[in-house]
Amino acid sequence: MGYRAENLLRLMRAITPTLLGVFGVILLAAPVRLFEGLAPTPIIPLVIVFFWTVYGPDLMPSVSVFLIGLLQDLLTGGPLGLWPAVYLATQFIVLSQRAYFLGREQKVVWIGFALASLGAGLILWLVMSLMSGALLPVGALALQLIATVLIYPVFAIVFGELHRRVLVEA
Amino acid sequence: MEFLGQDRREGLGRRAHSRFNLILLMLVSVLLLLSSLYSAQASVFKKAREGVMDAASPVLMLFAGPINAVNNMAGSIGDYFNVMEQNRALRAENAELRQWMAEALELRETVASFEALEGYRAPPGAQPITAFVIGEANDAFARSMIVNAGRSSNIEVGQAVVDNHGLVGRIVEAGGSASRVLLLTDIQSRVPVYVEGADVEGILVGNTRSMPAISFTARAEEAETAPGQRVLTSGAGGALPRGLPVGIVSGERKGEIIVNLYANYSRTRMVRVINYAFPEIDAGGESASAESEAEASAEAPAEG
Repeated sequence: MGYRAENLLRLMRAITPTLLGVFGVILLAAPVRLFEGLAPTPIIPLVIVFFWTVYGPDLMPSVSVFLIGLLQDLLTGGPLGLWPAVYLATQFIVLSQRAYFLGREQKVVWIGFALASLGAGLILWLVMSLMSGALLPVGALALQLIATVLIYPVFAIVFGELHRRVLVEA
Repeated sequence: MEFLGQDRREGLGRRAHSRFNLILLMLVSVLLLLSSLYSAQASVFKKAREGVMDAASPVLMLFAGPINAVNNMAGSIGDYFNVMEQNRALRAENAELRQWMAEALELRETVASFEALEGYRAPPGAQPITAFVIGEANDAFARSMIVNAGRSSNIEVGQAVVDNHGLVGRIVEAGGSASRVLLLTDIQSRVPVYVEGADVEGILVGNTRSMPAISFTARAEEAETAPGQRVLTSGAGGALPRGLPVGIVSGERKGEIIVNLYANYSRTRMVRVINYAFPEIDAGGESASAESEAEASAEAPAEG
């Protein structure tokens, strides 16, 4: 394989997680109304940020996390800086616990993700409550986070295969 | 069974993840948050939002096709199972609507005879702009939709957006080919409304719940509202035209009237943006403004 082609391939691998994050944000902005809007859309970018912060932080640099969050703010019309702060805080917490997660069973990592989402939700709720000057109802947020945590294992398997077979090994 | 990252070299890579960048970007986010708190309408942010919305609209439209197809399929399977029940409900509704039609025809004649009288000036009509919902903030706290029409179709910030049930929201950002609709349930949504027949004028305040509440600005004594009364836009403040249906009174909680919206956001696909221009007061015409005021006050009891 030529030197140039190899470089291109390396670049493609390096940006795959970021592109997946962007895709997740677009999905979040698309009118996906699962079961007539009863089931909230899971926050897939949170899964992506969590997963690659644990298994390949080089593939998920803070700049990518920031840009994914900023795009989400711009597309959902929220205050700018909200989602970057939430995702970066998640990354910060996960990085500090990374040594514990590596090589653990997926069940353990799943619980870790549930705790990380709880933290992210708490930050989101606090910031939005502060900005609107009233304690906001948490029902909708809780449902969305539960949906995200429930769907995590599926994404973990898919991303795990992708990471192992394409991004690292190949 | 092998676990991901069991070989610790796998994820650690060549260089350590830069904590410095992470903390720097966190600071940037917090600064952005603070600055957007104090200058939400700053032109840089506004331009960025509109630009991203315009750029994303073709992508979102691409997504909307398959999503609609799947939703329609799921919807028709559901319809198949309760077709009898729906049929019965539609028959009942049809019977009721026929009565209303008879009454409407009668009223149309009466109104026409009044309009034929001298001195009547019709309020300016609006040409609604039809648009499709291509995006939606699927966020716990931000409630908005993106529609596929923008400034190029004469859409401006502040215009009312309705679907065939009632008021959906109003335009808060207008890009070139896409605009954002702030839904009535968003925490930032404030819409002046009145309760038909109850002499209650107020402001409908969104609180992220599916049923927003009216907080009062004016209430003549202890006006009683009963569940089922209609809630309409009042046109106060000159933001939205008067008389757009919003919902029905569902109950009262802590002195606030809870409104059950006509709009069903999980089914909103096609909307109309109402580019209503309020009648302007001419420089020389005191009488014109007096007349329009008289009209407005005459309208209220007529509708009540």
